[in-house]
Amino acid sequence: MSRRTCDHPPTLTDSQVLEFCRQGFLMLPGAVPEQINRRAFEYLETDTHYEPTRILDFDWFQDQVICNPTAAGAVRSLLGPGYGLPVLMSNHRRQCPHEGVGGWHVDGGSRWGPQLKDLQVFYYPQDTPVEMGPTEVVPGTHLVPNTQRAMAHYGRIRGSASTAAPAGTIFITCYRIWHRATAAPGSGIRNLLKYCYWRSAPPARDWVREPGFDMARANFSGPAAGFGEQFHECYSAAEMFCWLAGQHPHYQVTGGQSWPLPALRNDLPYGFNPALATV
Amino acid sequence: MSDTWKACQSQARHCLEAFRQQRLAEADLAQLTTLLDAAQPRQGLLYLQLRNTNPGSQVLGMSLFVDGKMVEPPADPAQWPYQSVLAAIAEGWRVISFPELALLMDEAVPQTLGCEFILEKWT
Repeated sequence: MSRRTCDHPPTLTDSQVLEFCRQGFLMLPGAVPEQINRRAFEYLETDTHYEPTRILDFDWFQDQVICNPTAAGAVRSLLGPGYGLPVLMSNHRRQCPHEGVGGWHVDGGSRWGPQLKDLQVFYYPQDTPVEMGPTEVVPGTHLVPNTQRAMAHYGRIRGSASTAAPAGTIFITCYRIWHRATAAPGSGIRNLLKYCYWRSAPPARDWVREPGFDMARANFSGPAAGFGEQFHECYSAAEMFCWLAGQHPHYQVTGGQSWPLPALRNDLPYGFNPALATV
Repeated sequence: MSDTWKACQSQARHCLEAFRQQRLAEADLAQLTTLLDAAQPRQGLLYLQLRNTNPGSQVLGMSLFVDGKMVEPPADPAQWPYQSVLAAIAEGWRVISFPELALLMDEAVPQTLGCEFILEKWT
């Protein structure tokens, strides 16, 4: 049976958690050892179903992928203690070459707002350069509400980012980030495993505290600036950070040039709730 | 007049002459049909998502549909064929849909991707 949680300590710092709030995804290149990548690839040659969930039954996969220390530390930082482990495994398996580019979408079930109640995580068990059709994401769009049906005609998007990466790479995403499959002119099999972790504890700022981190002066501006109203991405990233820190009741936007707008000030920004400084 | 249309006229004249000489073949008419099909004007669609409602503002997203399929612009935005709606208009595209302002009045309403213009060109 699958284990139900990992107990690795949190590894992300304040700045790294803030960066996740700004970007909506986190790359962990080559996190999984090569021998495990080979083993996973070989297993997936025998289980080509789009949901090879039985791979979760193997200790080697649980230990080195699901509870991979690097990934589990990041997941623990974002979801808190006692988070639930995946109970479903999906594989976006592709025989390359493959011409088609997938449409931009958010996965079904996306919920918009500052909350982070789960994480969608991807794992490449083989080298996945651009020729093997890595997933493309639009950084910051986990803060830009959209619907699957309303974005299927999108083509190129300014600021989009490829997740091309070496074997063993895990990347952690906010479920609602905009993403798509890309064309794969290379040759061979490309596996892309996808699974989710689940929050079970209320949010709290119990990740790695960073001396000198100042929430009042932190830069919340994000890569999707310009998609919506000016500064809206600052509000959304700050709200998400406050939610993760368990301080959402103290989050406030008074408007104008107040916090959390980025600016070169000579004193604390107006509008910053002092309660947030004591967290 | 397009080259395809000129080819249609030429083939039609060929068929007429062949008919008069009583040597018109099925293949001659089939070729004319093929050329007529190709000469049908087709609507191309260009979606441009801009930073704001000004048609000269920066393009955030672009998708192009011609001959029944999506044509992916280059990955580098600097290489996109149009850097604004105005630039596309200058190349013969015609705006058929403007951003819906009612959707931009409330921050709580889904923001989507910028302000979308839809353009067409018949080729």
